[in-house]
Amino acid sequence: MVFSSITFLYYFLPAVLLIYYISPKQFKNMIMLLAGLFFYAWGEPVYVLLMLFSTLVDYMAGRVIDRHDDNPGMRRVALICSLAINIGLLGVFKYSSFIAGIFGAEVKPLPLPIGISFYTFQSMSYTIDLYRRQIKVQKSFINFATYVSLFPQIVAGPIVRYEDVQNEINSRKINGLLLGEGAGIFITGLAKKVLIANNIGMLWTEIKALDYGSISMLTAWLGILAFTFQIYFDFSGYSDMAIGLGKMLGFNFPKNFDHPYISRSISEFWRRWHITLGSWFKNYVYISLGGNRRGKGKTLRNLLIVWALTGLWHGASWNFVLWGLYFGVIIVIERVWLGKKLENLRPCVSIFYTFVLVVLGWVLFDTNTLSDAAGFYKAMFFGTGKIVDKFALYQLKSYAIMFLICIAASGEFAVKCMAKWRKNKKQSRLISNIGPLVQCGEFLLCTAYLVDASYNPFLYFRF
Amino acid sequence: MSNSQKIKTAAMFILVIFILPILSMCSKKKTFSEAENRSLAEKPEISLSAVKDKSYMNDLEAYISDHFTGRLSWIKMKSFTERMSGKDEINGVYITDERLIEKLPEPDKEEVEKSVEAINHFAELYDTKVYFLLAPTSAGIYRDKISKLASQEDQKSFIGSVYSRLSENVTPIDVYDTMYSARDKYIYYRNDHHWTSLGAYKAYAYAIEKLGLRAVDYSKYSVEHASSDFKGTFYSKCLYNGIKPDVIDIYSYDEGSHVTGVNMNDGTKESHAGDIYFREYLKTNDKYCVFLGRNQAYMNIKTNVRNDKKILVIKDSYANSFVPFLTQNYSEISVIDLRYVKNSIKDFANPNDYDQVLFLYNASTFSTDQNVKVAGF
Repeated sequence: MVFSSITFLYYFLPAVLLIYYISPKQFKNMIMLLAGLFFYAWGEPVYVLLMLFSTLVDYMAGRVIDRHDDNPGMRRVALICSLAINIGLLGVFKYSSFIAGIFGAEVKPLPLPIGISFYTFQSMSYTIDLYRRQIKVQKSFINFATYVSLFPQIVAGPIVRYEDVQNEINSRKINGLLLGEGAGIFITGLAKKVLIANNIGMLWTEIKALDYGSISMLTAWLGILAFTFQIYFDFSGYSDMAIGLGKMLGFNFPKNFDHPYISRSISEFWRRWHITLGSWFKNYVYISLGGNRRGKGKTLRNLLIVWALTGLWHGASWNFVLWGLYFGVIIVIERVWLGKKLENLRPCVSIFYTFVLVVLGWVLFDTNTLSDAAGFYKAMFFGTGKIVDKFALYQLKSYAIMFLICIAASGEFAVKCMAKWRKNKKQSRLISNIGPLVQCGEFLLCTAYLVDASYNPFLYFRF
Repeated sequence: MSNSQKIKTAAMFILVIFILPILSMCSKKKTFSEAENRSLAEKPEISLSAVKDKSYMNDLEAYISDHFTGRLSWIKMKSFTERMSGKDEINGVYITDERLIEKLPEPDKEEVEKSVEAINHFAELYDTKVYFLLAPTSAGIYRDKISKLASQEDQKSFIGSVYSRLSENVTPIDVYDTMYSARDKYIYYRNDHHWTSLGAYKAYAYAIEKLGLRAVDYSKYSVEHASSDFKGTFYSKCLYNGIKPDVIDIYSYDEGSHVTGVNMNDGTKESHAGDIYFREYLKTNDKYCVFLGRNQAYMNIKTNVRNDKKILVIKDSYANSFVPFLTQNYSEISVIDLRYVKNSIKDFANPNDYDQVLFLYNASTFSTDQNVKVAGF
């Protein structure tokens, strides 16, 4: 089930909220767990068993690590079991075909279980932190399984570390204020996904399918800019929805996006883009490898490993590995040389620098093969000999308003205005009255788009 | 967010997510959607295998969406927003100031080739004289209104290339220029993919001369506006209300000849009618069906014209408003729609019994329809 569906918004969610709110405290986790399993099984009726298996393994590993507190050997074995099984699952389901390809063998890719990249990372954070003695063990299987299967974030993050919710799993506040705050964030996320990402994405879908050898420069740039906004509003919209749902249920999930497209360097971009993934890799890979405390050579090696893995996490193909390394290299350059200079530049210049590099990165990210990417780069830089054509102008006209909305919504402008208005009492009261109405409108409009997706005129009188 | 805003947002959210599903569950279930012309999804039955392969979930989601409260109003709301945001294409239909125009499917070159061969083969099989009228659609005539269509193949050249592949036994009737020169008149519906009665008359007046007969002069007809709120297939696709509804005109020539009887066969059973106009359809959504009714494999029209001329028309729906004009020139007209012919034309009529055979298709159907090849069987 996806959040942006009539079934979720108008059947699953109200049913879960109703039962969850009226049931007594000691049953709330059980209800969350059942809701999470139902939600997951709706999309993966078979692989839900895989998720339960992974949960069970990490729960038991946690108990072993805790029980043998004075036996480093046992602790290590339990940790390695947990890591091996989680990474093994990922390897089999996500990377088997890719790895076989490296060795020249052909293996049909398995269907990827929904959210496997997210929940394996989450539950590994539990065993690793426990091993590092940073958190307390979770003795209740129901509570632990509730954490892994939290339906707001199981499918697409944020990657919530156990540490982030360890207190709330055991006991949390639920009230009308949190419900309202959560609903506000949720609706914003829904609108980002349904009204912005889906619409601008249609442009990219159309352009992506063209023959890159014959498109004009403007077409290529429009296409990749459309994707640039699509992926941001899609992904951050989904994170917002998760955070909003979390609040409604009493959880405070970490922020996942913080206006990444106004970053002034690539290093800053990655502190604002998919924040929970970045901090996961930093915490569990970069630091485990020794971070930057073992000399320049090792630091460089560690950075490149982390970025290759970050790329690979996004998908099993060389495009993704290269995409990750691309950022790794830029970040190294920024560290040793460029970073200081960027700080001294005017913001519009450094933002432009970052944005263009990110956009160029998206070409690698979303074309299917390396040769497709090369063809697309060529078209972007006048390789086809055409700067503009009718098609591009038509698309520009059709999507101009959408692009303007995207640009406006990517910046901090709206957020800053709101903050300023809130300082004034009168304006603040106005916002608190109009805000809910505007959000109601957004919500209803999203509903209209979702209902329309089922609109399927069958014109059999179309003889 | 201030506390009062939080509480108001919470109240609004709860109201919306509870009221809409309750309304949906309480409202009377429709089984058929007029606008889409399809049956709405039924509630699926649960079973282990349907859950395992997710068909149960997919069917249930389809059922929920199909029966969501006020469904059409939501869709209109979306259509309106799209238009406001600067888009002029909704569900494959372009919106211009005065009309809707359909995005044409890419012609399937192989299928078109097979269809042309089938017509050539047909002309060899029978002794009757064979004609082919490939009509442009509004997308062809008003192509310049949509800049995006510029990249599509021009219908004039598509029609020309089809004609160039016809054998010498088949006489092409090219009405493109006739239609194009009348493009300022009401020759195509604004909300539907068919030509209007006037458009059909223009094509008839040109074609009948090629068929060796005289067209009835336009001034002799009296025109009845049978319906003035017709919104056809294009409208159904995009539900955009900004275009003026269409008028369906019925042309009659009282001093001329009359239809004396109509026999039909829908592929399974025969029926009879006294007229070629089926006015009961004017009350439904498919108002265009007023011409020759709905979907028959075979139709035979007898008139009191005394020239003993017989024509066989093999066609798509463009012929439905065209055939009425032929009733002034032929004593017998047979009409065959190949989509409902299972085996062979000869199950219904022997082409050798006719003086002329006319293939009539529009460019859109002809570039995608795979049934034309039945003609060669």
